[in-house]
Amino acid sequence: MSDTQTSGQLASAISTEVMIEVNQMNKWYGSFHVLKDIDLTVHKGERIVICGPSGSGKSTLIRCINALEEHQEGEIIVDGIVLGKNLKNLDHIRTEVGMVFQNFNLFPHLTILENLTLGPIWVRKMNKADAVETAMKYLERVKIPEQADKYPGQMSGGQQQRVAIARSLCMSPKIMLFDEPTSALDPEMIKEVLDVMVDLADTGMTMIVVTHEMGFAKTIADEVIFMDEGDIVERNKPEAFFGNPEHERTQKFLSQIL
Amino acid sequence: MAIVKATKTPVRPAPISETSVFGWLQKNLFSSAFNTALTLFTLFVIYLTVSGVYGWGFVDATFEAENRRECYDNSLTGACWAGVIDWFDNIFYGRYPREEIWRINFGGLLLVLWMAPLWMSRVKGKILVGASVVVFYPFLAGYLFAGGDKGLFMQIMVSGAIVAFAINMANAVVSVLRNQGLDAFVIQSLGKNTAPDKTQRNILLLLTAVTFVAAFLWQLSWTATGVSWTKWGGLFLTLVISGIGIASALPGGIILALGRRSKLPIVRILSTGFIEVFRSVPLITVLFMATTMFPLFMPEGFVLNKLVQVIIAVVLFNACYMAETVRAGLQAIPKGQFEGAHTIGLGYWGTMGLIIMPQALKHMIPNIVGSFIGLLKDTTLVSIIGLFDILGMLRSISKDVPWLGLHKEPLVFGAILFFIICFAMSKYSRHLEVKLSAGRKH
Repeated sequence: MSDTQTSGQLASAISTEVMIEVNQMNKWYGSFHVLKDIDLTVHKGERIVICGPSGSGKSTLIRCINALEEHQEGEIIVDGIVLGKNLKNLDHIRTEVGMVFQNFNLFPHLTILENLTLGPIWVRKMNKADAVETAMKYLERVKIPEQADKYPGQMSGGQQQRVAIARSLCMSPKIMLFDEPTSALDPEMIKEVLDVMVDLADTGMTMIVVTHEMGFAKTIADEVIFMDEGDIVERNKPEAFFGNPEHERTQKFLSQIL
Repeated sequence: MAIVKATKTPVRPAPISETSVFGWLQKNLFSSAFNTALTLFTLFVIYLTVSGVYGWGFVDATFEAENRRECYDNSLTGACWAGVIDWFDNIFYGRYPREEIWRINFGGLLLVLWMAPLWMSRVKGKILVGASVVVFYPFLAGYLFAGGDKGLFMQIMVSGAIVAFAINMANAVVSVLRNQGLDAFVIQSLGKNTAPDKTQRNILLLLTAVTFVAAFLWQLSWTATGVSWTKWGGLFLTLVISGIGIASALPGGIILALGRRSKLPIVRILSTGFIEVFRSVPLITVLFMATTMFPLFMPEGFVLNKLVQVIIAVVLFNACYMAETVRAGLQAIPKGQFEGAHTIGLGYWGTMGLIIMPQALKHMIPNIVGSFIGLLKDTTLVSIIGLFDILGMLRSISKDVPWLGLHKEPLVFGAILFFIICFAMSKYSRHLEVKLSAGRKH
């Protein structure tokens, strides 16, 4: 990854249009206060990396944005739609927001191609030929078109994660969320997944990435957010964030992982 | 001394004990004096049992006789199979009129033909084939077995079944010969394959409607003689009850299991209550309830026949057991699968039907088949409430004057029959498991 690190920042195309807005959001698991007064604004085309120690609420935050978890207080507005009890809204949000998980969550009983076309066919009501065409386009983009007829269990972790990214892209989402996409991978496979993500960032996709890959963060992030114990502690441009962290908790965290 | 070995070690053949039959025998059966003694002793016990059974069942057995006396005249120690053979029709068909037995056989044949395409790899649209069996076959078979006047509803269902069967057979033939579905074939032979989807669909619907009308007119021309359910019996009755039980227990179980896991409190409580009530009561109690108490709750003059009551009881009972099996399978599916499905925008039914159930059902095959086997065997309990299923028939032999007191042979015969059916089912489930998991390790 040294080459991408030295090549510096990707060109970014942030517009003024707000994609995600989180206002004073609070979440509890039972009596445990996971997220505390979260405020977050993400513009279209912006690429945010969230880092922080485990248990700091990073994953929970992006899962709330995707409505996989319910929040109890405050509001989350995604692409102009307020997340709440309205199930129609939730299903709609989920089709606009792609998500990639640490454990891939591919469907093991379906082939790669079926994994990719399922959403477009059943949710977007696309006809099969078009769905297959789209799927192949994205498989090509993640560089594994030859694996289309295999089952997920027959592929390496890195390949599965790339399929998972392609599966999300097939739904043509406006926002992509990544929940520690490389944490479950062997070291030699991390690069192939990160390369795909860098590619994606290059296309101007709005991205929120929870990761411990700091080199990656320096390359793609427009801003880096540091979370600790349910608070957003610091938010800054990557060079400032890594070069000159302001808060002592950030400094401590960075000194531990770098 | 950094290099331990400079050359590659050549591959050598495995020791003889791993590869030859003698090696295996020595390792597994005769590895020590004590194990040798155990092996010989076991062989001796097996020999005693097998030779005893063989002598009783074959060598000394009587296969042709008019009555039990003649059996004894032939041999005192052998089996009297003549009694069982004499009762064959009763064992298989109960007291069904002899000249109408072909209807049962024909019904069975139809089922086999109807389901056969499911096992042919080239056949398209297997889901439709399966659905048509479940939806239409019971009506066709029901009418075939019971006969009598067809009401309008029955006429429609029978015609529907005939159409479904005909389409299914034609589809199978076309699929095997030309490797394409019947719909594609029809459209192509009419030269309409460039027409828009809507037109194609309308053509197919029209053709189906025409076939339906033809089938409807044809079925008006005949009626089957009515056979009262009281004459149904033997293996036929057992298979009818357990067949309906098997076909409806799984869908019923899936619905109840989903209900029990539902987020809606009322649905959840009702499902849970229903499952727990039926599961905590023995089947025989449910059967008695169904036949004696159920009519008391019904309005006066409302008479359901006993067979229908029994079938309802068996279905409900087994659906509740199946629900727990299904629930166990659902719980084995990792949470990530639900989340994966949600993130591509699938709703509840999409998630369940496309992602969760197919995986859960695959894991559950051994348990499901286990329940089916249990169901088949439990069905014999209906002989206690006065239906002459196979067990009832087998036990009646000993009360028939020529074969008075003949208990052993009919029951042994029944055991063999049950073994064949159950063993076939479990073998098939094994085969399904292997087939479904091929190439899909996870």
